Parts: sequence; structure tokens; C-alpha cells
Amino acid sequence: MDKSKTVKELASDKLYYFIRLAVLLSVVFLFVPALNPSRICGLINKNLSLFTSGVAYSTLTADFGRAFKKGWVENSSIQMLYVSSLVICLGIAANAASGCMSLGNMKFKKLGNIISLVGSIVELAGMGGIYMAYVQVAATSKPKRVEPMFPGSFWFVTVIFALIFVASLIQVIITAKEKAEEKFEMETKFRLFLMFLPFIALVAVFSYLPLWGWRYAFFDYKVGDTLSMDKFVGFKWFTELIKNPATVRDIINVLKNTLGMSFIGLATSWLPMAFAIFLCEMKNIKFRRFVQTFTTVPNFISWVLVYSIAFCIFSTDGFISSIFVNLGIWQEGKNFLMDGSNTWLKMWLWGTWKGVGWSAIIYISAISGIDQQLYEAATVDGAGRFQKMWNITVPCLIPTFFVLFLMAVANILSNGMDQYLVFKNATNTSSIMVLDLYVYELGIGKGSIPLTTVVSMLKSIVSVILLFGANGASKLLRGESII
Amino acid sequence: MAKTAQEKADAKAEKLYKKTHKRKYQLSPGDILFTVLNYLVFTLFTIACIFPFYYLFINTISDNDMVLRGTINFIPRGLHIGNYTALLNVGDLSTAFLVSVTRTLLGTTLMVMASALVGYLVTKQEMWGRKFWYRFLIITMYFNAGIIPVFLNMQMLGLTNSFWVYIIPGIVAPYNIILVKTYIESIPADLEESASIDGATHMTIFRKIIWPLCKPILATIAIFGAVGHWNSFTDSLIYMQSAPNLYTLQHRLYIYLNQSSNLKSLMQSGGTVSEAAMKSVLSGKIIKYTISMVTVIPILLVYPFMQRYFEEGIMLGAVKG
Repeated sequence: MDKSKTVKELASDKLYYFIRLAVLLSVVFLFVPALNPSRICGLINKNLSLFTSGVAYSTLTADFGRAFKKGWVENSSIQMLYVSSLVICLGIAANAASGCMSLGNMKFKKLGNIISLVGSIVELAGMGGIYMAYVQVAATSKPKRVEPMFPGSFWFVTVIFALIFVASLIQVIITAKEKAEEKFEMETKFRLFLMFLPFIALVAVFSYLPLWGWRYAFFDYKVGDTLSMDKFVGFKWFTELIKNPATVRDIINVLKNTLGMSFIGLATSWLPMAFAIFLCEMKNIKFRRFVQTFTTVPNFISWVLVYSIAFCIFSTDGFISSIFVNLGIWQEGKNFLMDGSNTWLKMWLWGTWKGVGWSAIIYISAISGIDQQLYEAATVDGAGRFQKMWNITVPCLIPTFFVLFLMAVANILSNGMDQYLVFKNATNTSSIMVLDLYVYELGIGKGSIPLTTVVSMLKSIVSVILLFGANGASKLLRGESII
Repeated sequence: MAKTAQEKADAKAEKLYKKTHKRKYQLSPGDILFTVLNYLVFTLFTIACIFPFYYLFINTISDNDMVLRGTINFIPRGLHIGNYTALLNVGDLSTAFLVSVTRTLLGTTLMVMASALVGYLVTKQEMWGRKFWYRFLIITMYFNAGIIPVFLNMQMLGLTNSFWVYIIPGIVAPYNIILVKTYIESIPADLEESASIDGATHMTIFRKIIWPLCKPILATIAIFGAVGHWNSFTDSLIYMQSAPNLYTLQHRLYIYLNQSSNLKSLMQSGGTVSEAAMKSVLSGKIIKYTISMVTVIPILLVYPFMQRYFEEGIMLGAVKG
């Protein structure tokens, strides 16, 4: 088919690549607040994207209460802004649809071109509306309060839309004489891809786009500011991490807690295996089933509920205190939760209570997969119960153990924050503060965005290195990768 | 009486048999001790796992005065359900319950449907750029921008203080997609082939063949997804800073647990509460217990029916994608 392509067709194909790229770009600035062409005055939140301003009128006008009341800004001009933004959103949606259609056959392409043309006209009309709204707002009686400003991205966005318009027009003209097929059809490979596309978009937005937030590590940023190049500070926050004595002290303490608790976890990671082995030594199947069922329950409750359980057992008027008080041994109840000693051990105990039954399941099923002949042969050779456990069961479980252990090593910096957040109180703060919790408290609580971004960044990088290290170790030792 | 050679040989064999099979029939004291200890330890640990729930429960249904005196430890007395009915009057609690239920149902449904569809699509060799896009998806399991960049991203997208932050980011779950993909690959390819020879489109094959056959694995990921949604707490904490009406039930529970002893004012803020109801829930302790119970009951109710799926889930996890 390629040979028979005319110059026209080739040009058309090239032009499609351009249109798709331009449409992709317009979809991007639909969601990026920094490129919002509808931000025509300071009263509009700078974290507002074009999409939000076109969809949520109440969010758009959130800060306009006073301005409307005092008559600084006409209600109608903001409504015009809203309608224009909405129209642009629809236009971009139409363009995106036509971009997808351009993957189909000629009938699809023709329809797509027309939709694209209409979409870009609508977009340009919307831009005109925004411009008129700006002119009206700029004529305000209180420019100091309203801060009218011409959106920086306005012309850039307009040019993109205009280019899409021109390109679509050319396409319509080129394809006007082509004969279209009877039916709408598209090659299977593109059809499948288009079905996949929305999910790719979701992943891009929620997993890849946050990486763009790493740029905050290089700026002097406070909550509510905008990023501008004059606030660029290079590696200031990185050096802060090793130079500022208060931060260094915090970081060292946090790392000590994180690694300390992780190492306790690693050192006892054989526990689920032991649990499984001893559980399987019990001959009574019903009892075994019973134990297995009820020891896995705690795994499915949240850490908040675990704390609630801890509260009802160990607090001042909880189970233990009321037993001892009623027996007359204690004068009044004790609150074990407020006790700041042995925090690491306690956290490990709660983690074990919650997780050991669940973690054992994988070993239990591994044990049921061991060849029974091995045991029979060992019995004939006169091996005792413990010898069989040690020399048959354990070696058969070691591969599973090894994989889980390596995964745990890779996660050494990520203890999660739920557990430590709920168990934290005034007495144990210094020994319970792990990396995840520290980042949360410093970033969300105290608004120290750049520093926590640096910490997050370093943590992510170290975690990835550890993961690949663990994978390499696994390949080296067992010839199998774990990821 | 002289023994025949045959009898002699028999006796010898018997002796030998007894010698080699001694351990099978005679339990040594060590063995008995081990068995007893084993049963004992497991019994104690199982009790440690169930008893707190039981204790929590009996303290919410027993006479409140006795509960406050700390006399309800093993046996419930003075049964009543007043504490639970009183909770219905706490406005923000029913809101939180509604939020949690909605996000669990909606979030799980969308996640399962997306996982099924994506899991199916990535098995299709003919898809444009299949390998690349699959890797693009899966690699996100192994890195994370970190909590603050993710938060700033949500803020940029206007998802903070919005219900959708509970739902949308969770729709694509790479791990579940791997599970579904592995499962679909284990289905005999003939089924699909014969359907496509009969002229069925990919969508029809997905709806009529793949979806029904995948139900076991979809049930498994649905259960895990639902439990995750029900238990999630940090997303409410991080993203809902100025939208308290969108707090999840777990977040509410966390707030109540950290409030000082008497929560009477809370009950009053909830609207009209009868005097009797007020009296019955004077203590913060009982309120805390009751809210905990409300939060844990869905899990405990669902658990026995779903245990099979939970266990299948962890075994599937052992199969690499």
C-alpha cells in the first residue's frame, strides 16, 4: 500500500502527526495551572487549571465574594470567562476525539477533520471570550484589589489553537476529493491502543507527573507561592540537609528509628516461617484451620483500628487496668500507651500481632507442596520430628523466605506512616519518628515543601537502588530475578 | 517345640519392623511436651487475636454503668443496643460512613473493571506498542515520587478537598493488572481463537468470554481493593484538610480516639438527641468503643465468606507477572 501513496497522502500523514502533537499539548495545558489562559486577575486562584475553571464555577468564583458585592467586577464578565473556559474544554475534547479518529480509515479521518475544525473554531471563540472578559475586568474601579493581569500563556495557547485550525482546514481540503469507505473502520492495533489510551493517561498523570514536582527541591518555595526563576536556589536544600545542625540532628534521629525498626523486622523475618512450620506440626486439621482463620483477621483491619484495640486493652480504663484495679492489686489504672519506653519493641509487637498469621499463609501453602516421600524416606532412616523439620521443611521453604527477605531489604526505608502516626504521642515522639512520618509532618504539617521534597527524592532513589541491588543479589545467588 | 524356619524368619522380621518403626508408635516425652506446648502457644496467640474484638463488642452492648466501672471483662451483662442507636444521631459520623461506603463501592468497581480490561488488552500481541506501554504501566510499581510531590500534583489537578481523589488515582492498579494478565494467559487460547474466527470483536470476546472466565481472580482483587478502600486513612488525612465533610470513617475514628475523655459536646452538635440517649452515652470511652465496632464490623462480617479469596490472593501474589 505504501508504494501507491501519493504526495498528497504523505503530506496528510505528516500533518496528522503535527495535529496530534498540538492536540496533546493543548490537553496538557488544559490541566496545568501555570498555563491557565483564563487567569485574568489576581482573585483567581493560581492553582486553578483551565479545566477546573471551565467545570467548577463555584471554585472559579471562590474569592470573588467581596468583589461582586462592591461592584468591582461585573458578575457577567466572570460568567463570560466561565462559559469561555467551558467552551475551550469542549473544543479540546473534540480535538482529542478527532486525533483518535485520525488513526482510522478514510471515513473516520474525514469525520475527524470536520470535528477538529469545529473544535478549533470553538476554541478560538472561547479565547475571544476570555479576551473580552479581560477587557471588562481590566476596567475595574479597584485595580489594586482585583489585580487584573493579562494571562501570560494567552498568546501561546491562541497560536496553538490557530495552528490546529489551519492544519484541520488543510486536511479537510486535501481529503475532500478522497473516496470514503462505506463503514467506519480502524486497524486492530490502533483500536486496541485507543482502548488502552485512557489508562495510559491516568498512569501518566498520577504516577509520572508527580516526578515533575521534584523541581520544588531546587526552589525557595513556600505554600501558596508561584515558582519563578528568581527563586531558584540550586542545591541549597541538599546542603541544608547536611549543614543545618537542627535538621541534621532530626535526620539522624529519624534514620536511626527507621533503620532500627526495619532491622528488628528483618532480624525476625523468619517468624512467619516458624509459625507456619509449627502450625503444620499440629495433627488436628480442624484446630489448625481455626487458628489460621483467626490469626489472619488482624491483617485486615486498619492501623487506626489496631490503635483502637490497643486503647481498649491498655489504656487507663482498658481491660488490663480494670482487671488489676478490680482485683485490688493496683490503686488506679495505668495507661501503657502513654509510656515512652521500648517503643521500637512495642511497634514490632503490634506489627507482628497484625501480620504474622497472614505472612505465614504463603509458607503454609509452600509446606503443603513439599513431596511427602521425602518425609517417609526420612522416617525410614530414623529421623525424628525435629530433624525432619530442620532438614526437610526448612530447606524447602528457604527460596520463598529468600525472596520475601530481599523484598524487605529493598523496603528498608519505607516502614509506612500509618502505624507510627496513630501510636505517636507526647512521650514517644523522638523514638517513633520514622522517615515517612517525618516527611509527612514536616511537609504537610509545617509546610516545608522543598526540604521534604529533597528527602522524598533521595528516599525514592535509594529505594530504587536497593531494589535493583536486591534483584541483582537474587540473580547472582539463585539465578532468578524477583521483580 | 521346635520352631520351623518359617516361624523363625517371621519373628526376626517382626523384631526388625518394631525396631525401625519404634518412633511411629511410641511417643517420647519430648514429643508429648512439644505437642502440648505447640497447641498451648497457638491457642494463646489465637486468643490474643480474637479477644480484643470480643472485649470491644461486649463493652458496647453491656450496661454502660458497669462498663464504666470496668466490671465487664469476659461476660456481657445488661444487654442493650442504645449505644449504636445513639451514634445515628452524630451527624458527621453518618456522613463519614456514607463517604467510606461510597468510595469503597465506586472505587472497587472501577478498579476491577479497569484491571480486567487492561489485563486483557496487554495480552493482545497485536496492540500498537504493547510491550512499551505495558512496561510503562508496570514500572510505576517500583518508584514513587514521594508524598509531598504527589500531594502538590493533586493540588495542581484540583483534586484536593474533592471526593474524586479517593477514586481516580486508584483506578489503575499495576499489581492487580499483572494478576489478571497472568490469569488470562492461563485460559486456553482456543476459546478466544474460535470466537474470533466466528467474527467476534475484541470487545465481545472480552465481555462474553474473558470477563466470565476471570470471575475468580476478579473477586479476589475486588476483595483486596474493597478492604484497602475501607481501611484507607492517610489519603483522607492528607488531601481533605479543608473538607471535613469528606473525611472517611477511619479518619473520624482517629479523631475521636484522640479527643479527650468526654464527647458529650459531640453528641449535642449532631442535632436532636433525646435525654435518655444522652445519658446512655455519657462517656467518651463507650463512644470510642462503639465507633471502633462500627468501623470493624464490615470487615468481620465479610471476612469468613471471603477468606478463601484472601488466601488465593496471596498465593497469586507469589506467581510473578
